[in-house]
Parts: sequence; structure tokens; C-alpha cells
Amino acid sequence: MTQSSASQMDGSALALLTARMEGIARKMANTLHRTGRSGILTIARDFSCVVLTAKHELLATAESLPIHVLRGPDIMAKTMADNHPVLKRGDAFLHNSPYHGCTHPADHSILIPVIDDQGVHRFTVLAKAHQADCGNALPTTYMGAAKDVYAEGALIFPAVKIQDKYEHVMDIIRMCQLRIRVPEQWWGDYLATLGAARVGERELLALGAEIGWDKLEAYTQQWFDYSERRMIDVIRAMPKGRVTRKSTHDAFPATPTAGVTITATVEVKPDEAMIEVDMTDNPDSMENGLNLSEACALSAPMLAIFNSIDHTVPKNEGSFRRIKIHLRDGSIAGRPRHPTSCSAATTNIADRVANPVQAALAELADGLGLAETGALLPPSCGVVSGVHHGKPFVNEVYLGCTGGAGAPTADGWLTILHAGNAGMCYQDSIEVDELRHPIFVHQRRLIPNSEGAGRFRGALGAYSEFAPVDCDMTVAYISDGNVNPALGTRGGLAGGNSAQYRMHPDGSLEPLAACAEVVIAADERMVSISAGGGGYGAPHEREAYRVAHDVREGWVSRERAEAVYGVALHDDLTVDNETTRHLRRGG
Amino acid sequence: MGLRFAIDTGGTFTDLMVSSDAGVLSMYKASTTPKDPVAGVLDSLRMAAEASKESLQSYLARGELLMHGTTHAINAIVTGSTARTAFITTAGHPDTLVIREGGRMEPFNFTIAYPEPFVPRALTYEVPERMTVNGMAKTPLDEAAVIDILEQIKQAGVEAIGVCFLWSVVNPAHELAVGVLIERHLPGIPYTLSHKINPSIREYRRAISTCIDASLKPIMGAYMRGLESRLREAGFKGRVLVVTSQGGVMDAAHAAEAPVHLINSGPSMAPVAAKAYAEAGDTETLIVGDTGGTTFDVSLVRRGRIPRSRETWLGQPFRSHMTGMPSVDVKSIGAGGGSIAWVDAGGLLHVGPISAGAVPGPVCYRRGGTRPTVTDAAVALGFIDAEFFLGGKMSLDKQGAIDAIKREVADPLKCDVETAAEAIMSLATEHMVQAIMDITVNQGIDPSEAMFVAGGGAAGLNCVAIARRLGCRRVLVTEAGAALSASGALISDLSAHYQAMFHTLSESFDQAGVNRVLSKLSEECSAFAKHAGAGSLSTSVDWSCEARYIEQAWEIEVPLRKGGFESATDITSLVSDFHQMHQDKFAVSDPHAAIETVTWNAEVRCRIGSAEPGRLAPDQRAVELPSRRVRYAGAGWVNSQVYRFEAISEGSIIKGPAIIESDFTSIVIEPGSKAMRDGLGNLVIDVREHTA
Repeated sequence: MTQSSASQMDGSALALLTARMEGIARKMANTLHRTGRSGILTIARDFSCVVLTAKHELLATAESLPIHVLRGPDIMAKTMADNHPVLKRGDAFLHNSPYHGCTHPADHSILIPVIDDQGVHRFTVLAKAHQADCGNALPTTYMGAAKDVYAEGALIFPAVKIQDKYEHVMDIIRMCQLRIRVPEQWWGDYLATLGAARVGERELLALGAEIGWDKLEAYTQQWFDYSERRMIDVIRAMPKGRVTRKSTHDAFPATPTAGVTITATVEVKPDEAMIEVDMTDNPDSMENGLNLSEACALSAPMLAIFNSIDHTVPKNEGSFRRIKIHLRDGSIAGRPRHPTSCSAATTNIADRVANPVQAALAELADGLGLAETGALLPPSCGVVSGVHHGKPFVNEVYLGCTGGAGAPTADGWLTILHAGNAGMCYQDSIEVDELRHPIFVHQRRLIPNSEGAGRFRGALGAYSEFAPVDCDMTVAYISDGNVNPALGTRGGLAGGNSAQYRMHPDGSLEPLAACAEVVIAADERMVSISAGGGGYGAPHEREAYRVAHDVREGWVSRERAEAVYGVALHDDLTVDNETTRHLRRGG
Repeated sequence: MGLRFAIDTGGTFTDLMVSSDAGVLSMYKASTTPKDPVAGVLDSLRMAAEASKESLQSYLARGELLMHGTTHAINAIVTGSTARTAFITTAGHPDTLVIREGGRMEPFNFTIAYPEPFVPRALTYEVPERMTVNGMAKTPLDEAAVIDILEQIKQAGVEAIGVCFLWSVVNPAHELAVGVLIERHLPGIPYTLSHKINPSIREYRRAISTCIDASLKPIMGAYMRGLESRLREAGFKGRVLVVTSQGGVMDAAHAAEAPVHLINSGPSMAPVAAKAYAEAGDTETLIVGDTGGTTFDVSLVRRGRIPRSRETWLGQPFRSHMTGMPSVDVKSIGAGGGSIAWVDAGGLLHVGPISAGAVPGPVCYRRGGTRPTVTDAAVALGFIDAEFFLGGKMSLDKQGAIDAIKREVADPLKCDVETAAEAIMSLATEHMVQAIMDITVNQGIDPSEAMFVAGGGAAGLNCVAIARRLGCRRVLVTEAGAALSASGALISDLSAHYQAMFHTLSESFDQAGVNRVLSKLSEECSAFAKHAGAGSLSTSVDWSCEARYIEQAWEIEVPLRKGGFESATDITSLVSDFHQMHQDKFAVSDPHAAIETVTWNAEVRCRIGSAEPGRLAPDQRAVELPSRRVRYAGAGWVNSQVYRFEAISEGSIIKGPAIIESDFTSIVIEPGSKAMRDGLGNLVIDVREHTA
């Protein structure tokens, strides 16, 4: 610390500057959302914007996707500084390398160093956006079966300069345009991402000029100290304990036939005010696209911890000091070595890391943690592509994916999507999809009885059925949860499994592989079933009026209400208290 | 010309503004009776009649127009007293209202339950039918199934029906057919068809508009009938109009048929008033802040136009439902005079969003409040005169306010009470500034180029501070700013909004098709002007189009230069206006890219009264009030001059530090700023630092 005690701030000055810092991150995000070109940015909102200190500490994240930002931005900013010892105003860097802090190669990130008038690097702003396409060998951003980064095929940019003196480095732009499908769409998204980062830079330069750079730096350290104090208080109030839980990803290409079992050991140490997660007891990297990047390997257990405790604790370098994640080099849930493929690092295995951690914390004490969230990535949120009347199309769709986990005081949030996303993404409008793409959506509905039963139940799974119009359509997806559902915790039950089928013209269903790129003909339909979320607490503890409401709404059948929840209903679907008491006593 | 009344019913007070035949305004505040809002309306009129020493009957007989802003529709939704409503939709898609559009706030907060659908799933009915994107009936409507469903609906005791089919906006035949069947099989039951109430793309937004509209029809119909008949009984013979979410007024009987337009009745008028009082021309941009007891509402006027949004939420974003209707873009946050200040376990100060509300209210109100609020901080700093609050109608407990601030804020922060009170004001200011930045960035407005218009009873406490933070040069506080919405209603136009969906690309522009759509809209506007607008002083139509770059997801609204396309130049103009608007809003544009149009809008406005904002009657009281000790940020305690707003003469300049008080509000003129009364009675504050 270079500051004297004169710059010690009180709780009001901290609050004021925090509101302004968060405001900057939010302004970046608002800009990106409104200016992006592809559906995945502007409809699904699959992006994040953050502010880091010059020492690469995470400072402000606005409402970003948890898996995108908790850890990784720090490593990316450090990579930028290491690779470019002289940072100048007007620089911008493109980064998507999973070996240098990025989540996965589809998440193109723009980093801009904020340089003061004296040429000193003060902050780094980062805008990260999932691309509709990133130049993979196949038209999907989730190459579940890719043997390695070469098979993946995406161009990898480990913090490569893409703007110099505020001008595009056209060599890089041209390389992207020659490799990425629908290059105009990529160009529009690139401009939006860059624009968002530039907005952040402009705002920080103004803030520094107004407040003073040294004072801002003092602020960041004191804000981290405050956040750490909050985290210490929270952990000291938790019970001491150590829980190991496992979660198994279904068998995919290049996995063992029993799938990939992830083991997480969570240890809460109130006396030291630390939470540690040991992820070292996990298989080696595999020859497929499921391996985690370092960013995802660190962020997944951390987001599960923050999901499990008082949500008002700020998420930044300060509170992170009280968390330790142990990783192993060369592990599927650790640090990958080039050329290991991390194509699907944000979703599948990452969720199999986050889920047992939050469910383990629930086992430590009632009121903590969450059940397991439904697995991703069924065809309903796969990447669709094809050629319609000579015109190519490619995009990720969001046609029904739910999966929220039961929580200590609330049912699973319906549209959570998956653990790492936390429901921040939007769901598509069917009309907008049908207007934009040659696609026809026959059905999208929730599936009764697919919730993980519990005192607070998980979300129901979703059924969707869609077809191409006048052309063939490739659907690329990597659907975990066909075999291993989202488990409940504290006596809660598992949610429904996922599944996928080809519907033939005669209406018959042909089961399809869980990790595939399938071609659906114009007279066929893709049928996608997404996973339900796990339940929290025993179903018999669920308040009877909630069960009755679920039955009236058609979410849970009357038979299931009796058999699983121990709640009997009269014919008018009000609670039969006497029989319910009897059932629950017996159960 | 007779008397014109504007009545804005709020949660606590009912504001009445009366404009006399000579254009002189008077202002009254009555208490709102939540169970019977019309009682508050009549009470406020009774106060006005008394002030003019007339019987209510003879006073109202002089009335010509009555414009009413009402929270009755939104209250009915919030309290769950809307009609039992059924939702009829396309088979295969029963969960449109359940899934909504996804999205969530506070990613790590799992304590909030997912919202129940606006219409229960148990009252959602799937009809075999399906239109395609091109308006072809891929599955014909199964009328027998509809008749069967209508029977089930009858058995279920349903009181209203919303009908929304996929792509009805391209081909409404199936919705129209269901409308006919409802009238035949369930005569008298109110229903709404989606392509009529909100003809725009995105099935969730159309469906939610439709269901909200249907659910409000019984209650708002009854309310409007009650309002009119009780006003008639009391002696009013003029025209009764209601304020819409779009910043215009419509006849009460007409509004009862499309009550979804009344969701934001009230707040939508603040920018209308601001635009008139600031005499904002085509170049000026206004940021309008309306500060009440519990909420701070922000809206805008950009170069003479009030921006619209289709994302108006009934409650918190993502945790409730949106109306899906184009409305004046108003963002609300939980910040106001009643916002509570506290310090958390880690030593961080918070102000709001929890509020002491009207009950128990701030500590100084002596109504049982124990937690310090922004109002308490203002009293502690001397911004508000504890002895002469609301023109002396209420005395405040200053010591109580000080004690609460000391206990809850100063002691935990280890500072003195004055410092704590200043910190509370600054943080409240910052929250309001952030709310303003959210809406300005989304609308692409640079606050430093704008004027800040401050309305509402608590606005004066920090309007200079807000403007300084935003970099605005000037603040405007209107004479009747404490009732900004009511003063807007008084000068608003009779208006109706018509829209149609028509998708075309700039590269292969279907000029004939677009012109067909525009001429149909034009006919609707003419019909409105001819009937509802009969006898109005003038009529105009505002044309706009919602367009986007190809592959972009969200449209932006671009004004059209005229209501038809005659040549290639007209198309080029639209495209270049789009690029310019995109550049304005987002600071980027792609001038070589083609655009696609989605929705076409026509808003017809009929002028039914004067567009000139009126003036309050002159005030004969002394301009100087006793000086008092006030603590200004950066200047410490000052023996401050205090002036009476109403008595300040036009053109005279008041230099800060000073307090300017009216019977309804207190305005802090911070050191270095200076205030001047202009010809319309406004206080215009130049907030740039001036050395004394």
C-alpha cells in the first residue's frame, strides 16, 4: 500500500465509490446488450462485463454470469500485462485462450487497460461475449467430442492486440473473418464488445480525473478489506465440517463407459474463517471437449459457495481471500495443458463441480447450500445451422431449458439454465426464432412430475419439439443428464432426466446420442427434453398447500402428490388434512 | 372556456390542479382513500370549490374537462383483485406466460421465488391451430375444440378471457374466429384479442398485454362508470378523460375498453409537464426526476420527443411480469424521502431500498418511525424547517431525527451526526444518479448535455447535487413541481396509438406493402380524430417505425419523416435516420449494413385545450423568510438565507447557499450555484460552480 492513513475511508465513502464502480460495469453491460448483433448476445444475454485493478484483482462485476467472472478475468488481465509489458492508451486485446484464463474459446473477450494521463496502468476493463460461432471445425461452439484443440479448430488468441491507438488491427480482423462462420455477425458482435469495453474505459478515466487515481486505488483495497470482513463474519457463523460429494457426468466420447465422476471435498473452517474445496481427486484430462479451463475449474466451486451463503457478501478479490480451491494440473477439473480441448468448459463438467459443492454445503446445515441444478446442454439450447435457399445460418437457440435447484427457502428458479449461468440468460421468443431462422417450433412446454421433489422442489424439465423449414438442419448439442439426474440434498429427490430423439414423419421416436451433431430433415422433428432440478429437504416436509397448488396447476399429479409428498387431496383439489396427516405419519 | 381539472391519485395524496378560464392555476392536495379512490377525487374538488367559495355543484358546473391519472389499475394487479382470467393459446405452447422471457437479477440470491404466471396454468387452454411466420394456416382452427373449451371456461367461473395465438399479428383470422365464438357462447364476458391490443412480435409480450387487459376490464369498467356517474351527480357536465401510459389522455369510457393502457397512468405525465414548462425545443434533452416518499421515477425528453419502452414491469424486473406495451419509458427505484439509512455488520452505509413509507414514516413525523430516513437527514441538516413543514401544517421532531441518525448511523461509522446526515444525503443522491444513468445509457443520452427537471415533494433536497454529479448545467423546478404529473395532465393531448407489424428489408423494400400498412394506420388515426377528437383545436400524427440491423435482436424506434413512402429517397432517408438513431443511442452504427423493419406506429394527437402551461395565482407574502442554520456540503454550518418560492419575482437572482421554500417543498441551493425565476414561474438553477 502506498497510501497514508489520510486516505482511510469510512463506510459512506466506500458505499459511494462502490455504487459508481458497479455503475460503470452496468453501463458496459447495458451497452453490450443493446448493441450486439447475434441472438446469443442480444437475446440470450450470454456475456459479462467486469472491472479489475491494475494488479489484476476482480473489483466490479455488475450482473454477470457467475461462471464467466469469478476467477479467470484476473488471469486474463495478467496475461495481457505479461505479454505486453508496455500498455498504452488506445490498446485493446482479444483473448479467448482457455490456457490463459479465458473460460472457453467461444467466449471472445476484449480487455482494455485504463491508462492515466501519466501513462500509468490503473485499471483493466473486460467485456466477454459468447460467440454464435468461433471458427470450430463443426458449426457449434461446444465441441464435446473434440480430441484436442486442433480438432476443435477455433482460432486461439492469448491476449492478442486487436486495437492500437483506437484503430483495429485489420490483420487479426481479417483472420477472424476468414475462419468464423457468418463473419458479418461476428463483426457486429466484436464492435459491440469493443464498444462496451471502451465505455468502461471512458468512464474510469473520468472517475480517476474526478476522484484522483491514488484515492481510487486506496478505495479498491479498502473495499476488498470490507468484503473480506463480510466473508469472515459469514464463515465464522457456519458449522465446522468436511463433506465429500460426488457427481457423475454421463458417458460421452472418450470418457470411461461409466461416465466421469467428479469428487469435491468441501471443508468449512470457521476458526480460520476459510472455506476450502479440494478438487484434486479427479480424473486426468480426457480426449474430448469436456475438460475445464483453469477459469472454470476455479469459478465453478466458488459460485457454488456464493450460491450457498448470504447473497449480500460482495464477490471480489476481498471475499475471495477466504476461499481456497485446490486444483491439480492435467486434471479434467483442474488446470488443462495445451492442447487439451476445453471447448465445453463452462457447462458440463463445470456443473458437475458446482453441484456437489453446493449440495455438500447444504448437508452441513439446514438453511445453507442448494440442491443440484439440472444438467446442460440439450438440443433445445443447441447450435442450429444449415443452408436455407442458398443462405447459411448458425446460432445457438434457447427453446426451453429450465433446471433450477431447490433452495432453503424457495423452489428452484424455473429458467436457471444451468449452475454456471444462474438464470441470467433469456429464453427465445418462438416468433423471433421463426422469423430469424428457417425453423418451426411445434411445441414448448414444461413436463409434469419432472421436478426433484423436496421441501422446496426443483424446477420442472422442459419439452421442446422443433423442425427445419424447407431445408436440412444440423443440431449440435452435448446433453448431460440422460443417465445421471440432478440430485436432491437433505432428503430431497432427484429431478427428471434429459433425453433427445429424432421424430420421424410417422411420429415414431428414435433415441439419439447424448453428444452429437445430428441432421434433421425437413420432414423430421428434433425432440428435446431438458433436466429437472433437484429438491431441497424431504418431500414430506413440503407444506401441503404448496403441493396442492402444484397439483391444481398440473405440475404434479395427484398420485405423485400422495406417493411422493404424502399429501392427499379432495376431489376439488383442496388438501385432505386428515389423510395427509396419516400418510405423513406413515411415511 | 370553462374550468379544467387534472387529478392525480397517488398512494398517499390525491393532487388536484385547476386551470381557470384565464389560465390561472391553483393546486390542492387531499388524502387518498385506497378503498374508494373516487372519494379522494371528490374531496380534492370540494377543497377547490371551498377555496373559490362556491358550492361543489355550481363549481363543477363550470367544469369543461377533467383529466384523471389513476393507480387503480396497477393497484388491482398488485393486490390481486383483477378478474379471474382464462388464457387461450396455440396448442403446444401453453407455458408462454410461465417461461416468460427468462432473465434474472442478483445471480447469487436464491431466496426469491420464481413468479407465478399472470394467469394460472389451470386456466390456460390450448387450441389446435397454428399460423406460420408467413400467415399461412398450417393447422386450421378447430372450432369444435374452442366451443368445448368455452364450456370448460364457463364451468371454471372465469370472468374474462385473453386470446393470444402465435403469429396472429401476421394473420388474425383464428383470433377473430375465437372472438366470434366467445360472443356467441359466452355473451357478455369481456375478452381481449392479442392482435388488437398489442399487434407486435414476441408472443410473451403480446400474451401478457392481452391477459392483463382482459383481467382489468371488469374492475376498470366499473371504476370508470363509477367515476363518471359520481362526477355527474356532483354536478360535473364536462368531459372525463384518463391519463394513459403513453403520455396522453383518452375518454374514460374508451379507456375502460383497453385498460392495459392505464398501468402507468400518472408517472407518464411527468415528462409531458417537463417538456412544456422547460419549453424544450427540438434540440434540448431533459432528464425528469420525480421524487416521492418511497420511489424515484426517472423519465426523459429527447429533442422534443418522449422515448418509449416496451419493457415496463409490474414489479421488480425479472421477478414480475412486464406489460409488453409501448409506454413512456419511466424507470423507478426505491429511493425517496422515506428511504431508510443503516450501517451493516462490515461497517458499510446503506440507504434504501427499504422505506419507512407513509406509515410509520420518517422518525421526525412522530408516527412511530424509529429508523432514520433521508427526510430525517434533511431535517438534521436544516434543509427542511422542522417548525414550518408543509407551510406550517405540521411540526417535525428534529431531536428525534438527530437521535436516530446518531444511534443508527453516526455511532457505527464513528462520526458526528452532521457528517452522518451528509453521508446519507450523498448516498441517496448517488442511487438516484445511478438510476438516471441506467435509463440514459439505454436511451443513448449524455446527461451532461441535458437539463435536469426535478419534480415531486422531496426533489428539492438534492436536485442540485444530482445535477452536479450528472454534469448537467441547469436544474429546473416548476412552480407546481410538487404535483408535476397533474400539471402535465392539464396540458396533455387526447391521443391514441396504432401499430401494425410489417417485416421488410431495406435492400428489397416492399414499398407498396409498407404504404398499405401506413394508409391503414392513417385511416385509424383519422377515424379517431373524427370521433373522439371531434372539435379539437388541431390534430397531428407522429409516425415511427421499429427497425434493426439484420440479425440484430432488438428494434429501436425511428421517427418517420412522413406517413408514406413515395420514392427511393424516402427509403434512403429512413435508413440514414436509422443509422443516426443507432449512433445516438449506442455510440456505434454500421452505415453500410442493411436494416429490417418490424413494427410501424402512428400516434394521433388531438389538442383539446391550451398547450401553454399555466401559472399559479400570484403570492402576496413576503419573499424573505427568517434565516436559519443550514449545513451545506463542503461549506459547513451557515446562517442561511431562506426565500419563499411563490414570492420570488421574475428575473431576480438568488445565489447559493440558500434555501427556497414553498408550501409543498424545500429546495437546497448549494454554494456556488444560483437560481433565477423565469417567465413561466420556474426556478432555473445554474449549478456550475460560481465563485461568490
